[in-house]
Amino acid sequence: MASVSFRDIEKSFGSTKVIHGIGFDIADGEFTVLVGPSGCGKSTLLRMLAGLEEISGGTIAIDGHVVNDVDSKDRDIAMVFQSYALYPHMTVADNMGFSLKLRKADPALTRERVASAAKILNLGPYLDRFPRELSGGQRQRVAMGRAIVRDPKVFLFDEPLSNLDAKLRVAMRAEIKALHQRLKTTTVYVTHDQVEAMTMADRIVVMQDGRIEQIGTPLELYDHPVNLFVAGFIGSPAMNVVSGTLRRAAGDVWVEADGGVRWPLAPTVPGSDGQPVVYGVRPSDLGVGAGERSVPAEVIVVEPTGAETELLVRVGAAEIVVVVHGRPQAEPGATIALAVDRAAVHLFDPTNGTALT
Amino acid sequence: MSSVAAAAVPGAAAPRRTALDRRQWWGRVFVLPYLLVFAVFVLYPVCYGLWLARNPASYARLFDDPIFFRTAVNTVVFIVVAVNLKMAIALALSGFFVQPRWWIRILAAIFILPWAVPSIPTILSVRFMLNPEWGVINATYFRLTGLDGPNWLNDPTLALGFSMLMHIWKSLPFWTLILLAGRLAIPAEQYEAASVDGASRWQKFRFITWPSMRTLYVTMTILSMIFTLGDFNSVYLLTGGGPADLTHVLATLGIRYLRLDQIDLAMASIVVALPLVLPLVWLMMRRLST
Amino acid sequence: MKRIGRRSIAREAQLLLIGIPVLIWTLIPVYHLFLFAISPRDQATSGRLWPKDPTLQNFQTVFEQKHFYLNHFWVQLGNSLMIAVAVGAIALVVATTAAFAISRLRVRGGRLVMNMALFTYFIPAAFLAVPMYKTMANYGLLNNRWSLVLAMVTIASPYCIWVLKQASDKLPWELDEAARIDGATPWQLFRLVYVPLMVPSLVAVGTYSLLLAWNEYLYGFLLLSNETDLTLAVALGNFLAADDSPWELLMATGLVYALPPAAIYYAFKRYMASGLTAGAVKA
Repeated sequence: MASVSFRDIEKSFGSTKVIHGIGFDIADGEFTVLVGPSGCGKSTLLRMLAGLEEISGGTIAIDGHVVNDVDSKDRDIAMVFQSYALYPHMTVADNMGFSLKLRKADPALTRERVASAAKILNLGPYLDRFPRELSGGQRQRVAMGRAIVRDPKVFLFDEPLSNLDAKLRVAMRAEIKALHQRLKTTTVYVTHDQVEAMTMADRIVVMQDGRIEQIGTPLELYDHPVNLFVAGFIGSPAMNVVSGTLRRAAGDVWVEADGGVRWPLAPTVPGSDGQPVVYGVRPSDLGVGAGERSVPAEVIVVEPTGAETELLVRVGAAEIVVVVHGRPQAEPGATIALAVDRAAVHLFDPTNGTALT
Repeated sequence: MSSVAAAAVPGAAAPRRTALDRRQWWGRVFVLPYLLVFAVFVLYPVCYGLWLARNPASYARLFDDPIFFRTAVNTVVFIVVAVNLKMAIALALSGFFVQPRWWIRILAAIFILPWAVPSIPTILSVRFMLNPEWGVINATYFRLTGLDGPNWLNDPTLALGFSMLMHIWKSLPFWTLILLAGRLAIPAEQYEAASVDGASRWQKFRFITWPSMRTLYVTMTILSMIFTLGDFNSVYLLTGGGPADLTHVLATLGIRYLRLDQIDLAMASIVVALPLVLPLVWLMMRRLST
Repeated sequence: MKRIGRRSIAREAQLLLIGIPVLIWTLIPVYHLFLFAISPRDQATSGRLWPKDPTLQNFQTVFEQKHFYLNHFWVQLGNSLMIAVAVGAIALVVATTAAFAISRLRVRGGRLVMNMALFTYFIPAAFLAVPMYKTMANYGLLNNRWSLVLAMVTIASPYCIWVLKQASDKLPWELDEAARIDGATPWQLFRLVYVPLMVPSLVAVGTYSLLLAWNEYLYGFLLLSNETDLTLAVALGNFLAADDSPWELLMATGLVYALPPAAIYYAFKRYMASGLTAGAVKA
């Protein structure tokens, strides 16, 4: 069993506290993604798990054993760095087999393990090359190969795709995911890119300012964000948010925003008349079409991307993004009617951002 | 931090050795060779030397010695004249060697010869050139004019001058290379923009080259002064401190006292030089230390 | 087209006006050395610019140790060589381990050690000579070639540590972390990752120390006295003791003595230039 558990983790650099009491568990074989903006502490948390940073408070346990004072090399983990950290003076094969060489393993065993890792990653023809002769994607694969050869309990990834171009990133994402499905090793993956998080994770840990905002499966976070931060962070394009006041009258309920705009709500939402709220609706939950509760909007920009069209519209004082399938009739300057999927609307408390729905 | 706290509590369990502690232990092991060298061959000699110079009477005798006074003057002249002359020439030559000509590059390779070749043979070579009877200079002069040339190294001023020239000859390539590196760090576009703006060569130097090089030049001048204070060979091998001990500099004076078995005077002369050396060293440390 | 030609000719002439004096100035002492070395005894002091009968006889005399002052030429040459190599090697070990501790292991007090070393580097070696002489006497190391080796190691190490630390700081920090995760102890990190990656700097620094020792006169002069212990540099200085020394033999010996460093400088020119000026010119 290669579970990982964090309990009451705290980290300070000097007098600056950067992580404030984090605790959660990762089950054996799970692919967990730590995601959040720069400076949220995700890399620091990963490095504490790796043993590259001292733990100021709390405990980290791997497989039930507390590893706070255990050397990195004895934690049975492997790490893939953002900059690959390949040894420039060693060949690909030597890079991948380095950890075994350090343990004075049998050279035949080393060769075998390196060969099988190389096969998984299609690195066979490159085994005798040096890192400087490889492309970014190939180097990343060598870094992963080095981790695979270790056959560790946990894989750690520290923003491994940040240095690659967009197309390569998409391809490598799939490769890493496929690797995980094949090897089923517990994986902790750090990224600032929420798309990577959504596509690869079994569970996502959203962090901000050294605290956990929410933990859940990608769809849980997408459908039921617990606060404004998570709602705005997960999902691209970001959720539209509008400040307004909840209104109940004559059996109907809506949010009134600047300019007298009426944003429709499902009748089952909680909240009293006159309560200030933040109204959140994802671009893909909006559509073009007249209806009883449609919202008039003035088109500002139309961005066709082929299968979909992204519209930037003005509703009252707010600018709203809409994503629709197909190519609706809309021109800049024209007025259209926005249809809202009321069931998918989120309400948030304006004072602390927590979700009300 | 947790292990320190545990150690402070009496009766607590032995502090756990964290990975950081282990690395620190290794760090101490690795730095030990140098620390040993430093303690045995720097710290001890310095302390011992200062102890040898503890007698105030030595200083009285030192200041009474006219040779000491002359030496001090020589040293100051050497440093002020030779160093500044050398650095100015190095600055000018760095502008010469930066030109992209094939023959200049070949010349640059030849130019480092004085630095590459050990100083003993070359200084002795110059010493013989200056020999009043059969040295090349006087012999050629005699052949051309039938007259005897001057006894170069017998005139204290000329002798000191030649020592300075020798020092400049030897160390010029090193400083020229460093200033050349400084020049190469200036982006070419600045000069191109200046050309378009119609700047003359002097203006380019004054407004582009000099501002960029100024700090380097001053730092290197200070460093050169420190190195020049320690140039024993240029004086000793050329003039031996002579004639009549009139061309000694601080570097050679200590040895003179040593050979006269006056160790305390030797150390005193070094201690007296410290107020000159230490400020320069402090300036360098300020500019370079981490 | 013609105007540009005239301007560039004037420019070339200006440059030559500087280049030719620089060439002459640089070569005079070296040429004179060479001149003496290939001149027979009676013609050496004639003051000519090229000997009437150039000869290699002087070199033969030197190599066959056929003169009183040259009795121990080969031993002394060997001493110079042995001491230079020993200094190069030991200074390299001392400096590399110290730079590794300071830069990669981040040893506590590393900054202090670095500054101590820097301070030692800036104090002129000539000032340290007399105390060093007395110290070696106290340690009982006078008339022992190791005194010169250890003294030169002391003088060479600080600059080596400085240069190596600057170079070390450029190595990516992640390499150490990856090696630690791979399971490397600091010793394995040093041996298998650090040293291989530092080779160019190590060559520059080792060569610097070697040449420093080879070229040294003052310390050899103070610390060694037995003729069979002397380095060639000090032996050359001893020629000056008498007025009727065979100057042409001295110059021939000097030329032999001067060749190895010149050769090394030119062979390692690339390493020397970048490796050493990098330490001096802080980017």
